[in-house]
Order: sequence, then structure tokens, then C-alpha cells
Amino acid sequence: MLRKYFVLIAMAASLVIGSITARAQDAGALLDLLVKKRLITDQEAEEVRGELVKDAAATSSGKLKLSAPITELELYGDTRVRYETREGETASNIPGTPGPNDTQKRSRERYRLRLGLRGTLADDWFFGVRLETSTNPRSTNVTFGDDAGPFGKASDTIGVGQAYIGYRGLRDFTFEVGKIPNPLVTTLMVWDADINPEGLSEQWKHSYNFNFGGGSTPAAESYGKDGKTVAAVEAEPFKVKLDLFANVAQFLYDDANPENPLGPRSVAGNKLVPNSDNWLLAWQLGARLTLPNSIYFQAAPVVYNYTGTGDTFNTFYVGGSSAVTNTASLALNQTGINSLLILEVPMEFGFKIGELPFRIFGDFAVNFDGDERAIAAGHPEAQDQRYAYQVGAGIGQLKAKGDWQLQAFWQHTEQFSLDPNLVDSDFFDSRVNIQGVVVQAGYAISDAVTFNLSYGWGRRADRSFGLGTGGAGDIGVNPIDKYQVFQADLNLKF
Amino acid sequence: MKITHLALALGLAFLSAEARAEKLVIKGSDTLGAKLVPQLAEQFKAQHPGTTFDIAAEGSTTGIAAIIDGTAQIGMASRRAKPAEIGAASAKGVHMKPTIVAYDGIAVIVNSANPIKSLTKKQVEQIFTGEVTDWSAVGGSGGKISLYTRNTSSGTYSDFKELAMKKRDYAGGSQKMAGNEQIAAEVGKNANGIGYVGLAYTKAGGIKVMSIDGVLPSVQTVHAKTYPYARPTFYYTNGDATGLAKQFLDFTISGAGQKIVAQVGFVPIP
Repeated sequence: MLRKYFVLIAMAASLVIGSITARAQDAGALLDLLVKKRLITDQEAEEVRGELVKDAAATSSGKLKLSAPITELELYGDTRVRYETREGETASNIPGTPGPNDTQKRSRERYRLRLGLRGTLADDWFFGVRLETSTNPRSTNVTFGDDAGPFGKASDTIGVGQAYIGYRGLRDFTFEVGKIPNPLVTTLMVWDADINPEGLSEQWKHSYNFNFGGGSTPAAESYGKDGKTVAAVEAEPFKVKLDLFANVAQFLYDDANPENPLGPRSVAGNKLVPNSDNWLLAWQLGARLTLPNSIYFQAAPVVYNYTGTGDTFNTFYVGGSSAVTNTASLALNQTGINSLLILEVPMEFGFKIGELPFRIFGDFAVNFDGDERAIAAGHPEAQDQRYAYQVGAGIGQLKAKGDWQLQAFWQHTEQFSLDPNLVDSDFFDSRVNIQGVVVQAGYAISDAVTFNLSYGWGRRADRSFGLGTGGAGDIGVNPIDKYQVFQADLNLKF
Repeated sequence: MKITHLALALGLAFLSAEARAEKLVIKGSDTLGAKLVPQLAEQFKAQHPGTTFDIAAEGSTTGIAAIIDGTAQIGMASRRAKPAEIGAASAKGVHMKPTIVAYDGIAVIVNSANPIKSLTKKQVEQIFTGEVTDWSAVGGSGGKISLYTRNTSSGTYSDFKELAMKKRDYAGGSQKMAGNEQIAAEVGKNANGIGYVGLAYTKAGGIKVMSIDGVLPSVQTVHAKTYPYARPTFYYTNGDATGLAKQFLDFTISGAGQKIVAQVGFVPIP
């Protein structure tokens, strides 16, 4: 009789704990323990186990089957609905049409969906897959009413945003290969957040913890009023945490195809057609120092270099011109990646006042080959146009329902400072040679839903040039003299 | 007229004999069905004249499927029914009831000429997943390891994967055998062979049993659950067994049945 009680207790306990599937597993351990303690027999345990598995098999989760090597699986994603308006104004003195001080404006209602699956496998392997709307590397947006319709689906395509394999079997190291989340600590000034580079990354991170002072002070004898020893006073040590990290990446930027053509290599414009893959290599070293009271400072300098030629981005970059018509300016090369050897130094300082987090952040970049890039673009007088920087501040965070956040930053990028194919596509329209301000505000309506407003305003940094824009930019004008964008987003994460 | 009466009498006699001869269909595990259950059946038949058995030992999966399909009264299994199988049974209104009939230890066997006497659990996992492919890596005298495993319908195949391999896949080059006896025979012939068999099959010639983390499979270590690859074996029935199936099940777990269990080389219910 006592045994039966324990069987019932096992079942009841299992029903209380977690999901049905988890219950069967938890009960299994519990049943094994009860058998080991000789409180129930193996046969009784088997009967209970069978009942629990039967119950579990009848549930939705019980009908799902995962392959044996999977140790953990997470389904996640987000969807966003956005209203956006952006406009660009032509320069006050340009040849041809459109005329000076003309404005192109685009207002769009858009959505995006990202659906991901990531999991860990036996022996320290892991993987991730994420499907995303849009095939644009710098955007996941789909514009409502943008295709044949009404309500067409031609633009509602799903692309593979991430697909990678990883390994964490060596202490402090993480290795990833595939179409991977950007492993680098960076900012929108250099990398659009929607880009998932393709290639390999090797990451190392190690944390050091230091305690200064603290411990207990020696107890004084016969110190108390009753003549007894008073307990030692515990002093809180000053705790410092230092995280050191290194991120190394090899991204396949542009595949040359074929590497070895039949017959002699092709010639175009008296030059041999390039025949080697182009790789973007990145080396980053970083440190984050965390002090008591949530004070931290982080810096993570990174060097970018490009090797090989590829066959798409190997024409010299010009970046538009204010001396020709708009059409002719747009036709000048905007995407060449010649002469780019860039040092980027993103930094962040944060602290809390009460429970309210503050952060001051910035980024600085210099292209050491900016002089060569300027000369190749036909602007030998502009060899100093090689710097870019961003500086900003933020208050609050969006972690839970009722949270709010404010953030603003100023950004300045020069014509030959950065790779225009990677810079953020929203606030400065995928362009360089532009400077301006961005202001953002957010509020968490629930733990999963946030509402965000963003406004960006910019103008040409140097009026002698066009504005290099990797890809088309959303505003079909070059040079843009003034630019602004407003976005209202409803985001849902799951 | 007399001929007509004679034919009628013979016909009735034949029908009567058919009615008395009850047949028990048992399908499933090779571990149970190759030796133990046939011997139990012989003894049972001696006590129940007229009873016939149809025993098919083609793997635990086939035994569980036979209960779900209703093509057997008893399903032999050397593993527990999987959630998907229990779900499929429920969908058909079949209640899979397990009854433990014996215990077993899955013995890891090597050729008797192999100098190695023991392995660790980690080494066993490495060998059967293909991480280790040469005997020199586990203290042997060298030579490419030849793996012998059961086929995928075998409960022992699944149990070993779960108990010894953290559910990882078998090495690609492993050779899949239909039964325990075939594995024992192949390992006995191959100086570089390694495989696993139920305890009842460890007496074959040319093989020796490895101790795992210093523990050999035996009645004591299986009962005490100190041998890492110990497991119960089952008869599965649709709900509580009835009729002839119940009689045979009761006989199996009776003192007389468990004596046969021990004689064949399995571990009796304590």
C-alpha cells in the first residue's frame, strides 16, 4: 500500500513540474530513485512510466520529434510593422535635371518577419537558421502595395538570413562558419545591423574577476558593553570584472566565377578580368571593464582589410559628382572597394543612476588607404577625406513592459573613409560623405511588444563631392544636399 | 450410409482437436526470442498439452508493432516502447502494457585474442561512435577496430545507443547483424572485432567480455544496477493479458519460469 502511495506521489510530482514531455522525463528520474530506495518495484515504475509517456504522447509537444543529437532547441523571431518617410533635396547648384533645391520624397508602409531556429547539439556543436523577408542584404523590409496586385506577393519573398554551424568545444573559444550573425562589436556607422556576413569567425573571450579590499576586520576583545566580543564587521570588497575578447573574421565578400576560365583570361578595358575571390578580413581586440554600481567601459578596435579582387566590386570607387547631371552622377561607381584599410574603434561607457541606465557611446574610423582611394576617384586634392566618427548618448532600456529608452547620436562620415556597401541603410540612406543627427525613442508596451520612433537628419559633409552610396540608396539623387527620415515602428518579438 | 457416418465422425473429431489446440503468437526481440522464450514455450507446452506457439524473433520494434497491429498476443521487447509507438498505439485504442520478465546486461565483447581486458564508458562511446578507430588508442596492440552492432529494428541497438553512446549515431562503418549469435560469431572470428550481446550470448567461443569501468556484467551487478548497461526486458500486451497469453506471462514470471530465465543466462526478477 505504501508503495502505491509513492507511485501516486511520483505521478503527482511529475504533473506539477513543467511541460508534459518534461514531466515524463522528470518522473523517470523520480521513479528510478524510488526503485533504488526500494519503495516501489521496477514493474510498478514501468507501469507508471508507460502511463506518463502515453499522456505525453497525446499532447502537441509529445507529437514533435527531435533528432537525438539535439540537446536544446529555440524557436525565435520578430515581426515589425513600420511607417517610414524619407526625403532628399538636391544641391542648390547642379547641372541638368532635376533642378536645384528639388526634393524626392518616399513614404512607405512596410513590414518584416524574421523566424529563426537555433540549437545546441551533442559535443559542443551548435547551429542556427533564420529566415527573413526580403533578399536585400541591408534590409528585411517588404513594402505594402509595392508589387502587382492589389495585395500581390511578388515582393514578399523569404530569404535565408542566417545559416551557420558553430563549435564551442575549446574553452573560451567560439567558432562559426556559414551565413553568420555579425561577430564584431561595431556600430551602424560601419555595419548595417541587417547584414549577416558569409564566411568564418573565431571568437575568444575570457573574464577576469578582481576583489580589492573587503573581508572581515579583526574582532576587538572585550569591546561590547556586555563584555563580550563584538562580531567582526564585514566590508564589501571592491569588485572589478575585466572581459577581454578577440574576434577574427574571414568574410567571403565577392566570389569570382570562374577562377580559371576556358582558354585565355578575358580582357575588359585593356585589363584582365579579375579571377580571385575577394575576402574581407577583420581582426578585433576588445576589453570591457565592469566596476561596482553597473559602471562599465568598453573599447574594441578592429582592423578591416580586403584581399583578392572578386568580379563585382573591383572597379574604382568614385562616389558621385556634383559637377555632372544627376543621372551621370548616379552612374559613377558607388560600390568599389579599392584602397580600404580601415581601423574602427567603437567605444561605450555606461552607468546607472538609481535603476536608470545611461550610456555614452562613440565610434571612430580611419581609412589608412584613403589617400589612394581619393586619387583613384579623381580627387587627389581630397586625400584627407578618410575619417568617420559617431558620438551619442542614451538613457533607459527596453527589456520589460513599461520600460522606455531615449537615444541620440551625431555622425560624420567622409567620402573615402568607409566601405559604402556596409554602412547603415536607414538613417543616412546607405551613404558616406554625410553628417547629421539621429534621435530615437522607444517604449515597451509589453514584454514582447515595443513602439519606437526614429528621426534622422543629415547634410552633405563636403559639398565638393557626391555622396558615395553602396547600392542605389533609397533616394535616387546624387548628390543629396539635405536628407531626412522618420520611422514609426511597432515591433513584436517572440 | 455407413461411409457417410464415418466421414461425419472423422470431421467432428478433427474440429474438436482444432478447438482444443490453442495457438499463442509471440513476436519481437531477438534477445528474448532466440533462446529464452522458445525454452519457456517448451516447458509451458509440457504443462499445457495442445498449446502451439508461433514465435518470430526479428527485433523489439517488430514486437511492439505487432501489439499495435493486433497480429500478436505478446510482444517481446528488450527496450521500452518509444513515445511515438505509445502514441500510435493510443490512436488505435491499444494500451501498451509492459511486464518485466527478466533483466539483462548488454555485454561488450571482443575477440578472445585481444589483450584488452577492460574499457571505460568513455572509450566504449568513442569506439562505437567512430571517434576511436584503432585499438592502440584504447591501450590495445594496434589494428583497425571492426564494429559489429545489431540492426535498427533491434531493441538492443536502441538501448545500447542510449545507455552507452549518449544517443549519438553509430560509426558509419559498423556492420549490422540480425542477432546476438551472429555478432558473437563474427567477433569470435575477427581479432579486431568488438560488439555487444545480451548476457545469455556471452558463452560463445572465441570471445571475451569486457569489464566496463571495472564492472563485469553479472546477476549481482545487474540487480544492483552497478553495471552501466543493465536493462529490463519486457512482454508487451494490449492492456492486461488474458487467456493463454496471461497463462504464459504468469508462467514466465513464476518461480519455474524464472528458473529457466537464469538457466538461459538472463538475470531473474529479484
